[in-house]
Amino acid sequence: MDLKIPNLPKVAIGWRKALIAVGVAAFVVAVAFIGWTLFTAYTEERQVAAFGSHVAASEADLSRVSGMVSSHLGSRPDRPSVAGADASMREFAAIAEHGRAVAAYHRGIIGADAVPEAYAGAQSAYIRALDHLNRAFSLWSSAAAAYDANAYTAAKENLARADQEWREYVTAIGDYDRELRAAEEGGEAPPA
Amino acid sequence: MEWKDVIPVLAGGFVILVVALVVKPALLGEPIGFSSSGPVPIPAPPVYVPPEPSPTATPFPEDGEVCTRTFRWTAIDGGVQTMQVRVPEVLFLEHRETPRIGDRLAWGRYAIADADRPILEDLARRIAPPAANPEEQYFRLMDLVFFVQQIPYAPDNSTDSYIEGVLPRHARQVAGGVEYQKYPVEMLVDGKGDCEDAAILMGGLLDALGYDTVLLGYSDHMALGIRMEGFNPYYAKYTPKYFTYEGQHYYYVEGTAFTRENLSTTSPVIRGRPFPIGNTQGSPIPSVKSETPQVIPLRCIPTPEDYRIRPVRLPAKGA
Repeated sequence: MDLKIPNLPKVAIGWRKALIAVGVAAFVVAVAFIGWTLFTAYTEERQVAAFGSHVAASEADLSRVSGMVSSHLGSRPDRPSVAGADASMREFAAIAEHGRAVAAYHRGIIGADAVPEAYAGAQSAYIRALDHLNRAFSLWSSAAAAYDANAYTAAKENLARADQEWREYVTAIGDYDRELRAAEEGGEAPPA
Repeated sequence: MEWKDVIPVLAGGFVILVVALVVKPALLGEPIGFSSSGPVPIPAPPVYVPPEPSPTATPFPEDGEVCTRTFRWTAIDGGVQTMQVRVPEVLFLEHRETPRIGDRLAWGRYAIADADRPILEDLARRIAPPAANPEEQYFRLMDLVFFVQQIPYAPDNSTDSYIEGVLPRHARQVAGGVEYQKYPVEMLVDGKGDCEDAAILMGGLLDALGYDTVLLGYSDHMALGIRMEGFNPYYAKYTPKYFTYEGQHYYYVEGTAFTRENLSTTSPVIRGRPFPIGNTQGSPIPSVKSETPQVIPLRCIPTPEDYRIRPVRLPAKGA
C-alpha cells in the first residue's frame, strides 16, 4: 500500500513570539491560581458564616426553651394540690417535647452544613451537644409520661438519666469551644 | 502569537467559572454566583404547643347520700372525745372503683387527694383547732396523731376491713398477701385500716393543717414522718428518731399502735398510751428498729437537676 504522507509546514517561531507565549501562559496560570485561592477562601468564609448563623439560631431557640423551663420550674407552687401537680407535669412534658423538637431541628440543619476541615471538630462537638440535649429532653418526656401513669420510680430514673445526658451536653459544649478556638488560632485543640 | 491563540484559553477559563459558580452550586443546592454574602435563611423552627387544660372536677352533690361515722377516742389529756365524720357516698364509691397504684413512691397521692381535702380539713380543724402558743399547738397535733392511732387495725386481706364485707375489686394480689391502699375517706368510712392506710390518713390530716409530712416505707410496714424544727417534747425519755430528706428532719410517727392501760395499779380507770413522735424503740415491728425506710414525699414532682443552656461563642470568621 502506498501511503501518502502530507508535507507539514515547517513551524518557525521566533524568540519574541516564544517569550510572549510563555508570558501569556504564566499569566493565565497566575490568574487561575490567584482566582482559585480567592474562590476557595471565599467559599470557606461563606461556609463558616453559614455554620455560625446556624449555631446562632440554634442558641437563640435553645435559650428560649431554657427560659421556658426556668419560668415553669420557678412558678411551681410549694405545696400544690394533686390536680396542680398533674397540670404542672403536663406543662413540663409539653416543654420537654418542644425542646426535643428544637434540638432535633437544629441538629438536622447544622449536621448538613459543609464546613472547612479546620471547623469539622467544632461542628462535630456542637452536633454531639445537640444530640445529648435531644436525649435529655426525650428522657424528660418519658419521665412525664411515667409520672402520668403513677410510675414515680420510673419517672425519677428517667430524670436521673436525663441529668447525665445534660452533664454530657455541658462537656460537649466545652469541646466545641476548644475546637472553635483551635480552628481560629490554628493548630490542634487542647485536650479536655 | 495571535488573538486566535488566546481565545481558547479565555474560553477554557470561562467554562471553569461557569462550572464553579453555576453548575456546582446548582447540583449541590447552594446559592448561585457571588450573591450570598448574608446569613443563610433558616426555615421556621418548631412551635411550642401548650398542654390542653384539664377539665375541672365536678363537685359532689351536697344533697346526695352520705356515709356518717362516729369515732370515740382518747385525747392527750385523757378525755374521751366523740367525733362525727360525714363522707358523700358517691365519693366513697368513686374511690372504691379507682384502680390502686402499684408504685409505692406515688402513694402520697392518696393522702392529698383533692376530693378528700375538704373533709380532711374540716376534721383536722375540729380535732386540732388553731392554738395560741406552741405548747398548746403541740398538744393539738398529738391529739390528731392519737385520733388516727386509735382507729382499729385490720389487714388488707381481711374482709373485716371493708364495710362491704368483701375485698374491693381493685385489691391487688402481691407477694405475701393482698395490697389495697385506702384513700383517707375510705379508712374513715370503713372505720378500719392497716399501717399504710393510717399513715396516709394521718399524712392527709396533718397536711391539711399545713404540716410537712412524708410516708416512711419499710419492707413490711409504713409509718409517717413529720418535719419538726427543734423537736424536744418534755416527756421524751428516748432519743427521737428522724430521717433526713432533702436536708430536712422528718420524725417518725407511728400510725397504728395504741395501747390501753390502767391509770395506776390501784385504779380501774383506763387510759390510752399512744406512741409518741420519734419513738421507735417501743415499736413491736422489727423492721422499724433495723431498717432505714424509703422516704416517700406526699408531693413527688420530678425535677431535673440542670436545665440551663450554656451560651457558646460563635465563629469569628465570616461573622
